[in-house]
Amino acid sequence: MLSFLNPILLLGILGISIPIIIHLINKKKAVSHKFAAIDFLLETNKRILIKYKIRQRILLILRACLLLFLALSLAKPFIKNSGGSAEEKNIPTSNVIIIDDSFSMRYSDRHESFFLSAKTAAKQIVDALKKDDEAAVITCSSQEFQIPQELENDKKHLLNVIDRSQPSFMTTHIAHALDTAVEILATARTSVKRIFLLTDMTRNGWDPHWFKSGYEKLRRHVSRMHILDISEGKTLKNIAVTYVKPQITLSEKNLEALIKVTISNFSSVPVKDLPASIFINGKKLSQGFFNIEANASETKEFFITVEKGKDYYGWVEIPEDNLFVDNKRYFTINAPQTIDALLIDGDPKTNIYESETFYLEKALNPGREHISSIKPSICSVHEINNITFANFNIIFLCNVETLPPEKIHELEKFVQEGGSVVFTLGNKVNADYYNNALSSLLPHRLHSIRTFSSNSSLSEEQPLHLKATERVHPVVRILSETQINTLSTVKFYRIFYIDPNPLGSCKTIFSFSNDTPALIERQVGRGKSVLFTASIDRDWTDFPVKSFFLPIMQQLCRYVTGSISEEISQEILVKQVWRYPCPYDINTIEITNSEGTQTIVQPQFDDNEKYFEYKETDTPGIYAVTANGRLHPQFPAYFPVNIDTAESNLEKIDQKEITAFMGGTKLSMTAVRVSKESDVLLGETKKTFWGYLLFLTFCILFVESFVSRK
Amino acid sequence: MKANPFDPITLSKISNMELRARYIVDGVLSGIHKSPYDGSSIEFLEHKEYSPGNEIKHIDWKVLAKTDKYYVKQFEEETNLRCYLFLDASGSMGYKSTGISKFEYAATLAASLSYLFLKQSDLVGLVSFSDRVLHYTPPRSRITHLHTLLKVLAELKTAGKSDTSTVLNNFIEKIGHRSLIIIFSDFFDKVEKIIHRLQHFQFKKNEIILFHILDPYELTFPFESVTFFESMEDERHILADPKSIKRHYLSEMNSFLEQFKQSCFENKIDYWLVDSSAPMDQVLIKFLVRRESSRRLVNKA
Repeated sequence: MLSFLNPILLLGILGISIPIIIHLINKKKAVSHKFAAIDFLLETNKRILIKYKIRQRILLILRACLLLFLALSLAKPFIKNSGGSAEEKNIPTSNVIIIDDSFSMRYSDRHESFFLSAKTAAKQIVDALKKDDEAAVITCSSQEFQIPQELENDKKHLLNVIDRSQPSFMTTHIAHALDTAVEILATARTSVKRIFLLTDMTRNGWDPHWFKSGYEKLRRHVSRMHILDISEGKTLKNIAVTYVKPQITLSEKNLEALIKVTISNFSSVPVKDLPASIFINGKKLSQGFFNIEANASETKEFFITVEKGKDYYGWVEIPEDNLFVDNKRYFTINAPQTIDALLIDGDPKTNIYESETFYLEKALNPGREHISSIKPSICSVHEINNITFANFNIIFLCNVETLPPEKIHELEKFVQEGGSVVFTLGNKVNADYYNNALSSLLPHRLHSIRTFSSNSSLSEEQPLHLKATERVHPVVRILSETQINTLSTVKFYRIFYIDPNPLGSCKTIFSFSNDTPALIERQVGRGKSVLFTASIDRDWTDFPVKSFFLPIMQQLCRYVTGSISEEISQEILVKQVWRYPCPYDINTIEITNSEGTQTIVQPQFDDNEKYFEYKETDTPGIYAVTANGRLHPQFPAYFPVNIDTAESNLEKIDQKEITAFMGGTKLSMTAVRVSKESDVLLGETKKTFWGYLLFLTFCILFVESFVSRK
Repeated sequence: MKANPFDPITLSKISNMELRARYIVDGVLSGIHKSPYDGSSIEFLEHKEYSPGNEIKHIDWKVLAKTDKYYVKQFEEETNLRCYLFLDASGSMGYKSTGISKFEYAATLAASLSYLFLKQSDLVGLVSFSDRVLHYTPPRSRITHLHTLLKVLAELKTAGKSDTSTVLNNFIEKIGHRSLIIIFSDFFDKVEKIIHRLQHFQFKKNEIILFHILDPYELTFPFESVTFFESMEDERHILADPKSIKRHYLSEMNSFLEQFKQSCFENKIDYWLVDSSAPMDQVLIKFLVRRESSRRLVNKA
């Protein structure tokens, strides 16, 4: 419907009479002249006169149009697009305004971001509500923290809610927002229920699965759905750092971090020589250039030298574009420190392959000496008197029959002060001796040896397998999903049964297929004691020749020594929970977010597990972790929080697809430029066109001057 | 700069036609000292011995004194020039852009020539016409006849359409042999028809001179603003933008003049295109000088 903002100026249309009057006056005002050679004039003028008359008429029409269009453009005409029905205009309505606050709404190719435009549009919708209309404002990026608003008709409050809303760093979840909207509208008593969705129409936010059933809810509870494309229907371009993965590589001399960086080009134009900079601890250390084809990605590797035992934070950065949020991606590097391990072989053999510690030593340092961060040293029980335990970080007692009493005492002191001991059993182990001499260190008392389907056919039971008791345990977490699944392939022919009552604060890391504990840890003083209820060589099991033996042993080593060095902190996305096991001697930790806000985190308890949980990962960046104001060896100094780059792909969803999603829901979709001058009124978008009229007026003026001069 | 006394604007200030004609002719004659139209109507032929019955006044006394014999002069037949002046008094001749209209210019020219001819005892007649004969004064040679002609010229008013060929047609029978026919008109008529009529007069050995009088505005079309042009002879009119049609108008006009001039040349008709803003003495002098030179050529021949 055509309307005018300044209808009074339509009086200016009367101005078109001016050229007509002037035309008539000029006609009368033409100098009259009696002329003798009029025959010649009549002869010559037949053709020209027609042209002259036509030109005069054209000029008259042009001048009339000039004034008409000028008056029209000053009257500011607009067309109201498919608004509600007449009924909707006269009866109270219930409205839910959904503002897309995902980070793609931070896109800005003009003076303000899409999110600000969406807020302006939302305010205009609220302003246009009638006295009896009620509304609620919700956002659609936070899937878990969406608090359903109640419908209200306090415009001031609604405007405040809109004013307070901020764009998030999360992805769009249109479906969830629609669910919430339907939930709100279901309680409304009015008959006209409308949803206004203000979004940039990026495809990733639309979950087709939800609409398979969701459209029915919409059709039943919603009278009309208005979708306003804040991006004005434009094709959006974006380049983003989509993946950063640091990995420690060890060499004889140096410790190097290999950083894999992937940059994606979400546009139809190739990108050339795009600089990507690597910043470590705030300093730019490296730069590379990317050439990325349209709608493609490119991965490059960067090498950074790091020092052992130090924690690093950093980020990869590319130049700013219209959506700057995804131009930076954070990472942390926890360089491992050297762990000195003493392997006391209780069953040394001349043939080293048959020695008890052979496989363990190879697992802890598979290459040559010093290449691994774990430095194993082997000794027999006879040599033990000459060795001081305090020089090591971890002691492995592998099938040791007995220990001198003074050494047992030294060992207890060693563990109490923060060292770690790992007991692996075997044929030489006497349960009674262990239970008496080492009860202060053992997690459980030893019971008896049990044999399963060994080749000596002592038992008819099938060999046992291994299974992870706690998937989140740092030792288990190192394993890939495939490795965890293959744990069942390992065979244990003989194991030690243990007393079910623990001797202290114990935790089972792995157990056998019959639920008998396999690997148990016990907190002893400041150190840890670990019991493996089978042999560490191949006498009782084929565990040492399995692929996961190496990572488990190395990780066990790092875990019990409090050195989580090689465990690169898993990437956490915005709003994901950071969770970490709590050491026995820590009661609180402090986490400082990327904006400098510090939060004190208390430990949580869950099934005997004590852990820290931090949920306030609202903004991307580097989060620093301290315990009592200092770095703690059992915690990473930093952990990175990044955005989910699924939102970086700004490919738009087609209007036809949305129509198909919505089923029979009454739908209006408008790609509109929202500014302070334009109006978005309850879906009745005012399409203004006085700019075109003014342009037309200038065109006519140009043509008029051209014709009149001729 | 001193104004030319024969400039049409200056002449227009002399209201009396006779004075105007005398003023021009006297000025012209004093300029060329001798009239090219001195042909007496009585030409001496030979002497003849006197015999009774001859008139005594024809005896040549000088010959008697020399020879003591009576001889009488014998003369050729009387050969007075018979001139008809045709003056177009149609509405279009009344057009004037500057001081003097085409008709006034033509009338003054006709009066000047009448005075000149009558001074030489030639017979001068006057026909004024539009689409019909408005007035006809038969040829006379008395000097008092000039007053009659000038009175007629002074009283004539321009009106009506012009139809030169029809008017000429009326005089084919009336005008005898060896007369001089001078037509003053703007000839806004069918050229072919006029030429066709004039050929009839030529057949009777009459000499024809055409004075094509046109106003400078008709020749140059200097209008600027949009003008409502009205016909001077009927109700026709046209609203036109002169700037847009000037080129086409001048092309049409020049083509007409060229065609007319060519037709006259082909039919041995003396054609004079006269701009009504041109000084009249110059026009007359040019005319008389050319007449004299052509006459000499004829005599030599």
